[in-house]
Amino acid sequence: MADITQATPGLLNRNGASANLAIVAGVELGSAILLRAFLLSDETAVIVALLALMGAIFAALQLRPVLEERIVAAFHDRKRFATLLGIVIVLACPFFLQGSGYAFHLLIVSMLYAVLALALNFQLGSANIPNFATGASYGIGAYTSALLALNFGVSFWLTLPVAAVVATAFGFLLGFPSMRTKESYLALVTIAFGIVAHQLLNNFDWTGGPNGLVGIPAPELFGHSFARPIEAFGFRLPSQANFYYLSAALVGLSIVSAKRLHESRVGLAWNALRADPLAARCQGIDVVWYKMLAFGVDAFLAAFAGTIYAFYVSYISPDNFTFLVSVTIMTMVIVGGMDNTLGVIIGAFFLTMLPEKLRIFSDYRLLFVGVVVILFLILRPQGLFPQRARNYGGKR
Amino acid sequence: MDALLAQHLLNWLVLGSIYTLIALGFSLLFGVLDVIHFSHGDVSMAAPFVALAAIQAVTAWAVPLTGTGALLLAILISMAAIGFLGVVLEWLVMRRFRAAPAMMALVATVALGTVIRELIRTLYPQGSNPKPFPAITTEVIRLGDIVVPVFSLIVIAVSISTVIALFALLNHTRVGVRIRAVAEDRAVARLMAIRPNRIFAVTFFIASAVGAVGAVFFVSHAGVVRFDYGVQLGLIGFSAAVIGGLGSMQGAILGSLLIAGIDTLVQIGVPDGASYRLVFIFALVIAVLVLKPSGILGKPVFEKV
Repeated sequence: MADITQATPGLLNRNGASANLAIVAGVELGSAILLRAFLLSDETAVIVALLALMGAIFAALQLRPVLEERIVAAFHDRKRFATLLGIVIVLACPFFLQGSGYAFHLLIVSMLYAVLALALNFQLGSANIPNFATGASYGIGAYTSALLALNFGVSFWLTLPVAAVVATAFGFLLGFPSMRTKESYLALVTIAFGIVAHQLLNNFDWTGGPNGLVGIPAPELFGHSFARPIEAFGFRLPSQANFYYLSAALVGLSIVSAKRLHESRVGLAWNALRADPLAARCQGIDVVWYKMLAFGVDAFLAAFAGTIYAFYVSYISPDNFTFLVSVTIMTMVIVGGMDNTLGVIIGAFFLTMLPEKLRIFSDYRLLFVGVVVILFLILRPQGLFPQRARNYGGKR
Repeated sequence: MDALLAQHLLNWLVLGSIYTLIALGFSLLFGVLDVIHFSHGDVSMAAPFVALAAIQAVTAWAVPLTGTGALLLAILISMAAIGFLGVVLEWLVMRRFRAAPAMMALVATVALGTVIRELIRTLYPQGSNPKPFPAITTEVIRLGDIVVPVFSLIVIAVSISTVIALFALLNHTRVGVRIRAVAEDRAVARLMAIRPNRIFAVTFFIASAVGAVGAVFFVSHAGVVRFDYGVQLGLIGFSAAVIGGLGSMQGAILGSLLIAGIDTLVQIGVPDGASYRLVFIFALVIAVLVLKPSGILGKPVFEKV
């Protein structure tokens, strides 16, 4: 599933382009197969075995950094092939899911969370700005588009940019206090903002109060309603496949923008901010503007995810956008690896699917997830995939 | 009107006292460990459950105590238990994050809060359901037409004496000097033959035990306890500590009184105030931090390269 295009060079081994090709294909197909098996399994033993396998793989990577370097080098060498194969896997994936609606649902939610985590990553990962209000931006986006669609019959495709603009405006508003407050104090400002947003959504009449908004119409594209199944190549994909492709496109868009921003002056400025705000200011970096920008970008992407979520489940309530949702997104970024696009996406998939798949432990799953997160932070504090040095072209 | 005003004032002081007991823990822990212990609310909220279990144990094992006596004993037991829980958590979890970036510790403690809540929910019999919590006392004193519940007086008196005890401890005992030394500079404190680990444990014990009292008062005031009450209480206590200025005891008290004040005012003055109270509380938090970025009594942070 994971589209691994983030590779930067490590120790590049030039002997044998075919070996690199094999490594890339092996890693991508292998992870896709693993993910599929994980999605479709519903027996406890199988799930536990798959989790153990994943754990073993990460343990191997942890204990033998050379392995990781080799894979990264292969991906860097075969960048175009890796990207293409990734796209093909993502496009083909729905045909191998046996029409399981649950698997589709998990994938869609995971992808939306991946977008949210990528959005937060601009702040938390790149610039080390704590933001506990991503859930609020997500909610503002969802509510804006849902209200537009329900009250004014605006089409999904039009609500998408409008919701993003509205959420961005709120994002900048939230960014204002960041001009003076920082660290724990800024964290509290964002927490407070998130709670105020949630409470207002919960209390206003025109947002439906605690009952939320019901009956958001399915989007249409060229006369094809997203509520209807896709029929192609003699296959019949369940209606969720529409949203699967839509969210996949959004993830693709987020990856591209994350990558471009990361490698641009903006990304460098954010990293400088993270390293030392005062030193960054002395270098002529407009600290306030870049902080505000991080808030804006975060809200913008989060609103996209919110809009798709609203139209996908066709029912939203304030409880989808609580403080704990923001914390979950934050955990995804930290567990995945700060400022590493691939890591953040994997973190999002991992933390979305783990609680779902642990339904077998029913009552104890949240407990289990909490313990896993704490252990994870103790054992691998840099995240699954830590940030790597930038590579602006040129092979070493 | 005067009677009504007095009632509201009393209500404000009770809420302020309860919030203070929670906020003090946040401020103390931040001052000493430089870490925000986000699960402080959840740790404290474990106290009423311990107390409930203790009441049952006390009355079941034929100790000639009933009603208020049993409850007071249970509260003492829960204080000790929660203080000990704080020490264990410090040893198990917080210690691992001493050198880590502040964000890591923050997320870890949020996860820790989830773990504690879930442990209560799953291990306590019927933990997901709200549990009635006995009132410490239902007696009232009448002063003219003003009705003063004895419970309110107890809450206020206990909070004030806790604050005084805490100040005395920090300023006039050897342990207090050590705690302040570690808060000031961990490395230098070590050179002065102070063991920071021991001080951290002591600080955790104090903060958690004080928080336990606050949580017990809170649920006794509400008459009911649920496993997830700790989230809101923790958030409010944290906000109070932050707007007062993290690390400052006086700030924690001031912040708590401010938040309790707006809480009371909204419930009196705003129509449908009960559902909008959190909006006003957290709007106040934002406003204070915009005007005073490091809290009301917080020391301004000077940037160093």
